[in-house]
Amino acid sequence: MNNYPRHSHDVIVIGGGLTGLRAAIEAARGGCSVAVVSKVHPLRSHSVAAQGGINASLGNSPDGRDDSWELHAFDTVKGSDYLADQDSVEIMAREAPGIVIEMEQMGTAFSRFDDGRIAQRPFGGAGFPRTCYAADRTGRSLLHTLYEQLTAVDITYYDEYFVTSLVLEGGRCAGCTAMNIADGTLHGFAAKAVLLATGGYGRLFARSTNALINTGDGAALAFRAGLPLEDMEFIQFHPTTLFGTNILITEGARGEGGYLYNNKHERFMKDYATKAMELAPRDIVARAIQTEVNEGRGFENEYVHLDLTHLGGDRITERLPGIRQIAIDFAGVDPVEKPIPVQPGQHYSMGGVACGNDGATAIPGLYAGGECACVSVHGSNRLGGNSLLETVVFGKLSGAAMAAASAATEMPSGDVVGAKLGEEASRIDELLGRSEGEHVAGLRAALRKTMFDGFGVYRSGEKMEKGLAEVRDLNRRCEKVYIDSKGRVFNQALVYALELQGLMQIGEVVAMGALARKESRGAHAREDYPERDDENFLLHTMASLRDGKAELEYAPVRLGQFPVKERVY
Amino acid sequence: MKLRIFRFDPTDGKSRYDTFDVEPRPGMSVLSALFHLQDEIDDSLSLRYSCRGAVCGNCAMLINKVPRLACRTQVEALLAGADRVELKPYAALEATVDWDPGTEILIEPLPHLPVIKDLVVDMTGFFEYYRAVEPVLKPSEKPGEREYLMEPAAVRKLEPYTNCILCATCFGACPVNAKNPDYMGPAALAKLYRFHIDTREADDDSRLMLANRREGWWGCEFHTNCRKVCPKQVPPNLGIGAARREITEAGKVPPEIEDDR
Repeated sequence: MNNYPRHSHDVIVIGGGLTGLRAAIEAARGGCSVAVVSKVHPLRSHSVAAQGGINASLGNSPDGRDDSWELHAFDTVKGSDYLADQDSVEIMAREAPGIVIEMEQMGTAFSRFDDGRIAQRPFGGAGFPRTCYAADRTGRSLLHTLYEQLTAVDITYYDEYFVTSLVLEGGRCAGCTAMNIADGTLHGFAAKAVLLATGGYGRLFARSTNALINTGDGAALAFRAGLPLEDMEFIQFHPTTLFGTNILITEGARGEGGYLYNNKHERFMKDYATKAMELAPRDIVARAIQTEVNEGRGFENEYVHLDLTHLGGDRITERLPGIRQIAIDFAGVDPVEKPIPVQPGQHYSMGGVACGNDGATAIPGLYAGGECACVSVHGSNRLGGNSLLETVVFGKLSGAAMAAASAATEMPSGDVVGAKLGEEASRIDELLGRSEGEHVAGLRAALRKTMFDGFGVYRSGEKMEKGLAEVRDLNRRCEKVYIDSKGRVFNQALVYALELQGLMQIGEVVAMGALARKESRGAHAREDYPERDDENFLLHTMASLRDGKAELEYAPVRLGQFPVKERVY
Repeated sequence: MKLRIFRFDPTDGKSRYDTFDVEPRPGMSVLSALFHLQDEIDDSLSLRYSCRGAVCGNCAMLINKVPRLACRTQVEALLAGADRVELKPYAALEATVDWDPGTEILIEPLPHLPVIKDLVVDMTGFFEYYRAVEPVLKPSEKPGEREYLMEPAAVRKLEPYTNCILCATCFGACPVNAKNPDYMGPAALAKLYRFHIDTREADDDSRLMLANRREGWWGCEFHTNCRKVCPKQVPPNLGIGAARREITEAGKVPPEIEDDR
């Protein structure tokens, strides 16, 4: 028996963002001992970067009195280009008002209307002003609120632990192994239920709004454990990311009345979405901007202008203070005086670990939630304001489900955790023991460029075939990745290498799914197949690892009250 | 330009400064310069990072003797002498190493917290003070079916404090934290004040009493370094001053503080 530190908790939540913390609260309320294992301190999770808001049909806006959960569900299903599972969407839309009010009652300082109710702003693809917000720092306000709530709950944090594998016993998930980054020690965790809540895989792409930590770790863990990854080819490109750093400029900037201009000073959205204009859904606005740039109507052949100057200094300072600061700090532009240079960039991973409405996956004891999962509520294109909503709704549901499951389950013996620890230690020792090979940085940069060039805003068969071949080659080379740093204390080079190995596998799955989907739907826009093809592709892509090789299958979409129609804005 | 970087490895317990040559380019932040070093020159360099957009608070460090977020600190501005922050001096700011601010950037870990490795510090103590202020909303009314109502003006009053991202730059900039490790520090006190003025909580002084001692409200010496370094313009000094006035008006100043006056 080896001497690695061992822990056991009823419920282990991997990831300390909104999904993870909301699940932790619910599981603890259900009487479970809960641990949150995260590679960063929970407050550094990518949830903090969400700016614009969270959707709920509260009807607080004078223009939104007739809003309802059904209309929210309809907008979401239409926005998804009919690929979302309608039962899941209905749950999310029905739960939305209650869960937003619950966050407010926990302390979130939402912006308010004059009557004291939570303020709501218009967002793309929504029929009413439905997006509740805390200025332009909604995600941060929500995450800090949950972390605050958890100071009064008895849970255990393992901050800056990188999970290296899931442990399976007799087909069940029995825990995980993780490396404490601070000293490099491997730890074994036994658990009755494990939640993957590790966020998306945005850092697969060269231009991304995502935090640098968004490397798809949970999806990679699930994939290696044999679970299918669903709809991974659907990548949201946000229309307005800051030229240079690709930091997000919230849709709320257009919700507050911002205009998009090309280099002829035309509000070009009139040619793409006559009625919705700048507030068409993200996939449509992103393609419009890319088309303007591709056809020579951009600035420096790279970006267009997002103009807020007509809103006036007071409104910008009150509603979009963070955006103003970002533009000043990172682009040297004060949006009160000048337009912001923006271009599309990767923003959100619609795909993820296939799971049910309570987060349960095909492996008993293993759950998934948030951006890391695919329930699916976003289908092929997510509406703004629905991702924060998904995290808290499904975080809560999965927390409750894990508490119930945990009450009916025996704690795994831990022997299998011990065996896995030995394997993981050998894998890491072998990686650190290499005396030569390719470095992480070069492989990582090549992967990101390949993915952005081949699987970006516009896709075509030829470019994707080339991209897939490149990704496979990089994936092979990455198995022998080399790092100079051999120490164990805060060895970030080692973390980067482990992240990259997972990201390579995900890249291959994204590429395969995109190439095989011979249609255009939502964020997946193919120049060689410009039409949606419901006859052949109103289906979820399911990618699984079989005998070491990724394979694709398809599963039906759960349709419901909203008939599949053409999507026009 | 040159980057002079503090290095420490607990394995041998030794610290040193390493100097690296880096070509500055427009838009390069201190964080991206550090990533360039990790990627191209020395992958054993350790630092914290996450969002690279000044919202997560993970990359606070001492840059040219000012606590800052590495991601929003532009190298060209530093070299040009723009973006200067004048701080009240304290021990960690006294030069322990010679550096030329015109051609070099000095990068060290955040002061007042133990160093784990290189630029990574142990934040446990900082978060202990955060927990000590019981940062959980305690509403005066039971929650109902709808949200608590709040005047827009009441939310605006909270916002300077809810802006805090708990990066600890203020903690590292505070001359009182420098000499008294038991002082709760600006971030925890700002957080406490944020809950005190939240109109959803009872309009009494129970929150204020949590820090009614020398290590709390009364430890502050109003150097205002906290506000000067805050990447989110949080004004802990204003909250602390207001809390003290309220406590004084209520006649609840602790005797040992009165004795000092």
